[in-house]
Amino acid sequence: MTQVILFNLLNGLIVGAFYALMALGLSLILNLSGVINFAHGGFLALGAYLAYSLMPTIGFWGALLLAPILTAFLGLAVERLLIRRLYGRDPLYSLLLTFGLAFIFQDGLRYVWGAQSVPYQIPGWLASPLSMDYFFLTGYRVFMMIVVALAVAGLFLVLGYTRLGMRIRAGTLDLDTVSVLGVNVRVLRNLNFGLGIYLAGLAGVLAAGMLGLSPTIGDQLIMPSFVAIIVGGLGSLPGTLVGGLLIGVAAGMTTVFFPTATEAVIYVMMALVLIVKPSGLFGDEGRLR
Amino acid sequence: MTTLKVEGLNTFYGKSHILHDVGLEVREGEIVALLGRNGAGKTTTLRSIVGLTPARSGSVHIFDTATTDFPSYRIAALGVGYVPEGRRVFPNLTVEENLLVPLERPGPWTLKRVYELFPRLAERKSNKGQQLSGGEQEMLAIGRALLLNPKLLLLDEPSQGLAPLIVRSVFEVVASMRAEGISVLLVEQNVRAAVEIADRVYVLDNGRVVHEGAAAAFAADEERVRELAGAKADAFDEFD
Ligand SMILES: Nc1ncnc2c1ncn2[C@@H]1O[C@H](COP(=O)(O)OP(=O)(O)OP(=O)(O)O)[C@@H](O)[C@H]1O
Ligand SMILES: [Mg+2]
Repeated sequence: MTQVILFNLLNGLIVGAFYALMALGLSLILNLSGVINFAHGGFLALGAYLAYSLMPTIGFWGALLLAPILTAFLGLAVERLLIRRLYGRDPLYSLLLTFGLAFIFQDGLRYVWGAQSVPYQIPGWLASPLSMDYFFLTGYRVFMMIVVALAVAGLFLVLGYTRLGMRIRAGTLDLDTVSVLGVNVRVLRNLNFGLGIYLAGLAGVLAAGMLGLSPTIGDQLIMPSFVAIIVGGLGSLPGTLVGGLLIGVAAGMTTVFFPTATEAVIYVMMALVLIVKPSGLFGDEGRLR
Repeated sequence: MTTLKVEGLNTFYGKSHILHDVGLEVREGEIVALLGRNGAGKTTTLRSIVGLTPARSGSVHIFDTATTDFPSYRIAALGVGYVPEGRRVFPNLTVEENLLVPLERPGPWTLKRVYELFPRLAERKSNKGQQLSGGEQEMLAIGRALLLNPKLLLLDEPSQGLAPLIVRSVFEVVASMRAEGISVLLVEQNVRAAVEIADRVYVLDNGRVVHEGAAAAFAADEERVRELAGAKADAFDEFD
């Protein structure tokens, strides 16, 4: 029994880490630009497929490094060419745009890489268990946790200690004032979008090694990521991080005791949070921008 | 070279026509006061100049550049500092982080110099913006604008809600901008304090410029000052 609990706890933590990585990117974009990016899952899938295609030439490590960066560049272009035009308009417009983009992504991926899942290889030594008693504790799982932790730490360092990060945080509450201080807010929003997409791409590269890779890989992650944001509290990135881990673990533990409720539990959690503390665990006002 | 020249500005909020053919000028090294009652359109004028509420017609020239259609950040990057109404300090950032947000234009103003000008900010540099008193927020908003190394500074009611003693020191800082080679456009309800440091004044009423002239002559016209200063005149005697 301990084994089963530990197994699902670890699973939950890892899945939660993916939710968190996705949700942090979604939050960055939502907070600074007021855009709910439904195409986030598409970017995640693209990151994974790019890694898949790059691996034969530059290997797993090269792909891990390069695929998220390439994905981020595509994010910069999408923001620059499409999303930027809708800032300041009714949020419905950007919602429709990103919703449409999500479909375009999925069909584009199908077109290029096929609808079936593809074999996604991780280095053999990473795939083997670290211990006989805890067979599920593979090197890859530990490795994923480390990479996610590094990415999250890196994100918080950038936001906390660089001018770029300070401007992003300032702009989250008052972009006009950031602009009158001479900061090019178009570039700021563009970079911020790219940063969010980088996290999605990275999540994709990692997740494909665990969940397998098909064009719909983003689908199973995006709704829980929105839930993570709401549970953690709109506008709070630490909240988003905690929210992601929390619902991941909750879903993992539910698998042990009520397997049939696994899918539902995160929505139940969301409902509970909304009833008890509508602004989310860390949010102070539930404000959108 | 003109520092700031505004001509025939018409600005709207949705359908309501707020500014009617507003024109004004700030010459190099001048401190110009823009006065007027509540709702006269002072803030709207500044917002139109810095591109936050662009005018529907008319023109703005800053340092001989036509900035009428520029986005705010491009106007600021020319060397225009703006201290908005209500300060708009970033509440979620520390004092020091607030000071690191502005574009780094080269010039004499550094973090160190701002802390020398406002030692209080140095003491509170790790406090969040939301923890500051009104006076500290004003200092922070001015210091933040100075770190852009502006050649033109626009201030919207810096004395609002401050105790008389603090108002005095804020005005001393504004007056000292002259020696820094910074031209100033100062919006104030505190008429007496403003005319004391200004070279020239404009008076707005209902979105129109109804008076323009030398500050000294305006200050001497007690009736006019009292009319504009209204109930604030008495409160302000403490400053003299
Ligand atoms: N965002 C807005 N939407 C619609 N009307 C506005 C808006 N902001 C200001 N107004 C109106 O425009 C007019 C001018 O306002 P403005 O803030 O420029 O005046 P002000 O001279 O700065 O006044 P105060 O001394 O109270 O700051 C007022 O009638 C005000 O009600
Ligand atoms: Mg005003």
